[in-house]
Amino acid sequence: MAVICMFTGSANMGFVECVKALFFKSSSANIRILYNIRIPRVLAAIIAGAGLAIAGLIMQTNLNNAMASPSTLGVSNAAVFGANLSIIAFAGGFLDTGHNVVNYASSANPYATSLMAFIFSIISILLILSLCQLRSFSPNVVVLAGIAIGSIWTAATTILQFYATDVGISAAVIWNFGDLGRATYKTDLIMFVVVFIGLIIFILNAWKYNALLSGDASALSMGVDVKRLRFISLFMASLITAVCVSYLGIIGFVGIICPHVIKKLMGQDHRFSIVSTALMGSLLLLFADTLSRSMGSGSALPVGAITSLLGAPFFLMIIFSRKAGKKC
Amino acid sequence: MLEIKNLNFKYHRFSSEVLDDLSLSLKEGEVGIVLGKNGSGKTTLFKNIIGIERANSGSITYNDTDLLKLKPRERAKYIAYVPQNIEFGSLSVYDSILAGRMAYFDIKEGKSDIEIVEKVIREMGLESYIDRYVDELSGGERQKVAIARALVQEPKILLFDEPTGNLDLANEELILKEAKRIAKEKNVSILMSLHDINQALMAGDKFFFIKDGKVLKSGNRDIVNEEIIEECFGIKVRIVEINKQKVVLGRWVNEENY
Repeated sequence: MAVICMFTGSANMGFVECVKALFFKSSSANIRILYNIRIPRVLAAIIAGAGLAIAGLIMQTNLNNAMASPSTLGVSNAAVFGANLSIIAFAGGFLDTGHNVVNYASSANPYATSLMAFIFSIISILLILSLCQLRSFSPNVVVLAGIAIGSIWTAATTILQFYATDVGISAAVIWNFGDLGRATYKTDLIMFVVVFIGLIIFILNAWKYNALLSGDASALSMGVDVKRLRFISLFMASLITAVCVSYLGIIGFVGIICPHVIKKLMGQDHRFSIVSTALMGSLLLLFADTLSRSMGSGSALPVGAITSLLGAPFFLMIIFSRKAGKKC
Repeated sequence: MLEIKNLNFKYHRFSSEVLDDLSLSLKEGEVGIVLGKNGSGKTTLFKNIIGIERANSGSITYNDTDLLKLKPRERAKYIAYVPQNIEFGSLSVYDSILAGRMAYFDIKEGKSDIEIVEKVIREMGLESYIDRYVDELSGGERQKVAIARALVQEPKILLFDEPTGNLDLANEELILKEAKRIAKEKNVSILMSLHDINQALMAGDKFFFIKDGKVLKSGNRDIVNEEIIEECFGIKVRIVEINKQKVVLGRWVNEENY
């Protein structure tokens, strides 16, 4: 899938040209397209797809809620607010560029926007986890606190957008669309480190997640420090989401659909489902990205919309399938 | 011996005591039955023993080991719990039981863990189920899986929270007999909450009548009489003996049908 994804795009490069470019035998433009645009993009799809999918799985298990997603703690809402603040209030960069629409295109600093998105995501995570500590990370409290805090960020974003200029609001809306085209090797590396650490932590706790399926009391009686596990898991899943959303924008549905598909097909044993869900996430995002670039006629369609368009019918098919009898 | 001394607990600072100076003790190999109305503090007592709730004062010890000071992993080697509503997720019977050994291994189970799991599976007669998903089993079978999972923890104390609540008559008898067998054969102290006093009389060695977070009376089956049941549950009953076994009848049975 990664290879197909690499060979697909708006630049008119044939298969042979792509292979040549891969071995530095093509024109310098083709080599640049492949190495500076397509490969970072493919890597971003693999890493972010895996990250968002496992973040969703871990949220669902820890909160005992089939509707939980990587953004349950309001991380995405906070990231959107941070990015919107950077784009609308600071014209895409920081204070030095000021609220100047004319300067927007030239002064837009994507790293500043991502950084702001990330900072607000982290603030949101720490705020919710500190609040939830007061109630021992009771799943219902976490979900409700996530909804409440998320709605505060959404309201703040709406107010911000109300005062924005046309250009500012367009830039903000475009940022909200998930776009793997923003990926660079640097962002890929940062995402990889966070997702990899998360994956290792989740795999090491696989048995504990299995115990958690029996409820808090049973898990505790089997020796699981439920409160500590839940804190570490929610923090790590939210951190993965924060990094992915900050760099790539909102990519919905991967984090909900992939865990459910794997649960339906393979059951809920986390020793296998964590890695399978990660692979499923990578595959879905690669496929969605390939499709978004093939359908966009010159510019890629928002990959977040494609994941939902592709995922939702498949998801419905899995849910209503009689053969796959495992409960979600 | 399991000893609970002067346990006090309330959910909020300004609420009343749910456990009020509660004390009880249970020897190895004994089945202790906790009896009381809904809201009398039975579940809260169990939550405190497992560690979900932290007692405001008092102690829970097993042969001088302070269970309240142990971390969950160490506590799991002393106490295992069989809940009333058993959830396992979509896991196989084998893996569900193996999860009970978690306190003894870090990432992957060892040879000794597998041996213990297989021994308990044989003892509980679950050999033919091991590859099936637990959520495909009947209530009684799931209860047996939950007991097997608790047993592989090799606990000193086994807690059963209303184990027969969702079972039919045959499975009720099966689970209570199993509990009795485990207590005697493995020398485990079993503390069980039950609603049905006749079931309690069938399975129990020691009885704890609880009201308003206090133990009203405790002792062997001799203490089970019409007065204590009336004091504890607020209803009048009649106790008759059939084949030297006490049987509790509701008074309405006397009045209307006999």
